[in-house]
Order: sequence, then structure tokens, then C-alpha cells
Amino acid sequence: MNGSPSGANRLAPAIADAIAQEMRSDPRVLVWGEDVTIGVMGPTRGLAAEFGESRVRDCPISEAGFVGAAVGAAIGGLRPVVDIMFSSFAYVAFDQLVNQAGRMRYMTGGQLSVPLVVIGSAGAAGANAAQHSEVPPALFLNGGGLRVAFPSTPHQAFWLTRAAIRSDDPVIVLHHPALAAARGPVGAEPLELGQAEVGPEGDDVTILAVGLMAHRARSAAGKLAAEGIAAEVVDVCSLSPMPWETILASVRKTGRVVVVDEARLTCSVASELAAGVAEWAFGDLRAPVRRLAVPDVPIPFAPGLEAAVIPDEDAIARVVRETVGA
Amino acid sequence: MSDSVLEQHGPEWLRVMLRIRFFEGSLADLFERGQLVGVVHLSIGQEAVAAGICSALEPGDQITTTHRGHHHMLARGLEPEPMLAEILGKATGYCRGKGGSMHVACFERGVTGANGIVGGGIPMALGLALAAQELGSGGIAVAFFGDGASSQGTFHETLNLAALWRAPAVFVCENNRYGEFTPTERAIAGPGVAARAAGYGIPGVAVDGHDVQAVHAAALEAVERARAGGGPSLLECVTTRVRGHHEGEENYAGTYREAPLGPDPIDLLDAALGQPGLRARLEAEERELVARALAAAQAAPDPDPATALEDVFA
Repeated sequence: MNGSPSGANRLAPAIADAIAQEMRSDPRVLVWGEDVTIGVMGPTRGLAAEFGESRVRDCPISEAGFVGAAVGAAIGGLRPVVDIMFSSFAYVAFDQLVNQAGRMRYMTGGQLSVPLVVIGSAGAAGANAAQHSEVPPALFLNGGGLRVAFPSTPHQAFWLTRAAIRSDDPVIVLHHPALAAARGPVGAEPLELGQAEVGPEGDDVTILAVGLMAHRARSAAGKLAAEGIAAEVVDVCSLSPMPWETILASVRKTGRVVVVDEARLTCSVASELAAGVAEWAFGDLRAPVRRLAVPDVPIPFAPGLEAAVIPDEDAIARVVRETVGA
Repeated sequence: MSDSVLEQHGPEWLRVMLRIRFFEGSLADLFERGQLVGVVHLSIGQEAVAAGICSALEPGDQITTTHRGHHHMLARGLEPEPMLAEILGKATGYCRGKGGSMHVACFERGVTGANGIVGGGIPMALGLALAAQELGSGGIAVAFFGDGASSQGTFHETLNLAALWRAPAVFVCENNRYGEFTPTERAIAGPGVAARAAGYGIPGVAVDGHDVQAVHAAALEAVERARAGGGPSLLECVTTRVRGHHEGEENYAGTYREAPLGPDPIDLLDAALGQPGLRARLEAEERELVARALAAAQAAPDPDPATALEDVFA
């Protein structure tokens, strides 16, 4: 269809197809992780059937061990893709990701590259409680030396996963479990790490959001359009490098900003975006920057409690209305 | 150990062990005079481990080492001058002054890196071994680590994975009987480090780490097994940390040492070689070599501050 590079039209299969295409063209690419041959989480489903269990390798439940091994394998010339299942499991391997993968190039004065990809789900999908519902990109961004992408559509997922595998830097690719079956075409125009996607466009207010929050922002924008408020959504699907140019161009156009984040407010990506906008586009602002994020609590279990702390479409629309003074 | 092995390797072992001794001694001296930035962890007393293991490796092999790793690097063939320049934070250091003593690396020469995190480099060595296996390079990887690291999760996780995947790796525990300031008998449960291999179904042997011949013989066996597809091994080299955990610790650490020092590995080798005059000649050469390297490193330029922002990403 329209020269699409992928037959996938849902998010998790788009990641799997991106991995498969890279594996076909580059024998150095291999997949490690927990239950990757079955593909429990989606992004590796179907790969073992095509590439065999040597290149798609189930690991014991020892995240520090297999992530660390993947760091070494990447330094040694392979391009490992590690599916860590839930991104909060990456905390178990935090030293290997932050202290090792993120620092090896720098500490060795540029001698070493760590072309490693770590894929994990991020966000709440309904009653998974506090240890399976995290949105952790701020931790990785502050760790330094790591690239982070968080696609919210099949198109973004396909292209950003391919870019991640081809990158010579360690890249964390996050995917939201509530969006695994989200539908959409994979367009022919590539998306690179460091790019954001804008849409819908609008002149009244900019909504900056990622992952499920980008979906909800787009829904809220549709609702607001009916009220005569033209909201522009910048989906910051690549968080490192941060696509500041696109973000600031939108802010300069609209003069109003609402940042939505599914992470806890304190030191969140929302806070970083708000600070950058305030520092670099202050003169263009016509209203205070607003941050809408999870209060500083763990994600609760009961569905009603979970819904109470995560920004929804109505909350986004309300804060946008307040910002434009409607 | 046959005499022919001693004849073949002995003089070179003696040379490299003396180089390590003078190299580390010069750092102790610099620290004493307040001319060293940062912290250094010296390997005096542990020279035989580095010489015995590294002389069993080939150029394409890789090692990962630890915060106390200068001896491994020198035995692997790294040049004293860019090593010293790195330790002094100079632009001409192996890592352009970005790593320092705890992170000297030279990938081209088979030293992937030292690590400031105890146990941090063990899974990395497994990955390097797996990369060699997948790419068919014929290389193997050696993880050097201390007795302290053998209680880290990464040690156990890596041995399990390496055994499952029959990785061409050798795990070398340099048991110098102290993890930082704590004696191993207060830190390691069970019969010892080598015995931990049994839990993963791989060979685990302990050798006298003061005796370069014993270390080398055990290393050869483990290296040959790894290279032949026989999987990983654990080798525990029991040795002696002559200096403290780090230079300058006497300012606060007090007297925590109870274990007697082991034999001097250089004296042991010298006696085994029984070649009158060899040690004196090599001592003169290596003392001179290290002194020249130090003078050159000290004269080297500091890094341009602008380079602090380079090398984060590709």
C-alpha cells in the first residue's frame, strides 16, 4: 500500500517487522531476552520461526547478566536487540545500562561503540500495579549516553526501531502496552532518532506529549477543535536527541504550551520540556507553561485508582482550555 | 610445569612483572608526593596473576579488568607512557584523559576496559566472548575480577549464562584476600570462590597466584578449553595485595590487616629461573623504561577543556 516498507499495521508487529528486516540485511543483529522465542510482549513475536533459536535467544531471568552480556557483545561487533519485557525490569540492569552502556564510549575517549538496543514496555495497561507500569525515560535521559525513543504509532515504531538498530549508540525503545494493537499505516517516509511528529497542527496552543499521552492529546485536540480551539500536538517520539527545533518552532507559533506526561511529575520529561521552553522561548510565551503528569505516587493497582492518577483526554482538554483562557 | 615452558616464558614473565612493580611503585611515589590526581589501586604483589594469564592469550583475545587493573594492562602489552598519561589525566592518555586509572582501555590491543564498578565487567567479557563466537573470530575473552566481585549478582548471572551458552570465556578471580577493607572470610560463605563454579557445572580451580608457573599452567588449560569449544572455566588465583585498597588510605583506614603477606612472586620466579644477572639486567632496563615513560607522560599536555563535551554519542 502506497509503497509502505512494512506490511505491519499495528504497533508491536511494526517493531517486530523492523527487527526482522534488519536481521535479514545484517547478520550481526540478534535478539536476546526473556521469552523472546514466544514473543510474549509482542515486539519479538515470529522472529524465532524465521531466524532460529541461536539468533533469537531466550535468556534466564537475569537482567543484569544478559543486558551486560549484550553490552559486551555490542562492543565486540554484534548489534544485539534485547527485549527486557517491562521497562521497569531495566532497573535490575541499571548499572549495565547507565554505568556501562551509557559511559563506555566516553570513558574510553571514543574508542568503543555500544550499538545496543533495549526494548521494553512503558506505561499502565490496566491493573498491573507499580512495578509493571512505569514510564522511565527521564531516568535514562538523566543517566546520559543513552538514546531514547518512545513511538506511539506503527509508523514511528517501525522507523525508530530500524534507526535504533542502525545507530552506533545504545538506544532504549519504549512501547506502550495499551498501544500494542494500535492501528495505523507505516509510511514510506523514514523517521530518524531526534525527530518529532507534529499533528494535528494548530495555532492556539501546543501540546507536547509522548506514548499513550500523545494518543490522548490527539483525541483531546479533536474534541477541542469542535470548540474552536486549534491545538497542535507535538509527539516527542524521540527523546534523545531531543527534537528541540520542532518543539520550539511550535511554541513560537502558538505561544502556549501544555506538557503531558505519564511519568511522575518531579524531574520528569515534562519538567525538562517545560524548562527548555521557558528558557529558550520565554519571549514568545503568552501564558504560563502547564505540566500535566502523574502525581508523585507509584502507579496504583485498582483500575479506578490507576485511572485517577494518569492524565486522560478530559484532563488534557481542561488544562488546554485553562491555558488558552477559554 | 616443564622446564621448557619456564625457559620459553620465564625471562619475559620476569620482565613484565618487574615492569608492573616499577610502574606501580612510581605511582605510589607520585601519590606520596601529592602529584597524582584521583585515586589509584595498586597491584603490587599480584604481578604473577597478570603475567601468567596474559601470556596464555592471543592478540585477538579481549580482557575486561577492574579498578585494580594496571598489571593486567601492562601484561597484555599496553604501553606504559599512554597508560601513565591517562592516569595523570593527560591528552595523550589512552582515553584522552576521560577515564583515568580505573578506566584505562585499549580495544585494539585487547583491553576492552577497566571498570570502576565491582563485578561490572564480568558480563561484558561474556558478551565479548559471545561476539567472538558468533563472528567466528576464534577469539576468547577473559574477565578479571576480585574476590569481592564473586559475591556480586553479575558474577553468578554471568557464570550461569556462560555455562548455558558454552561461551569461550575464562573467569579469573584474583583473590587478594580483601574486598576493599574486609577480609574474604568475612565476605564469602561456603568453601571459597573456585567452589562456586560447581553450581554452574563448569570447571573451577584454585591456584597459588604468587606462582606464575602455576597460574600459567591453569590458564593454558582454561584458555585451550574455551578456544576448543569446551566452554567457560573459573580460575581462582590466591594472591596478596601488598598495598592497601587504595593509596592514601592510611589517613582513615587504620590497621585492618591480619593475614600475613604471601611470598613475593618476583622472588619466586627469579629463584626458579636461577639465571644469575638476569634480574639485575631486567631491573635496570625496566626501571629506565618506566622512568622515561613517566617523564614523557608528565610533560604531555593537559586535554583541551572543549574535549570534555566530546565522545558521549557516536
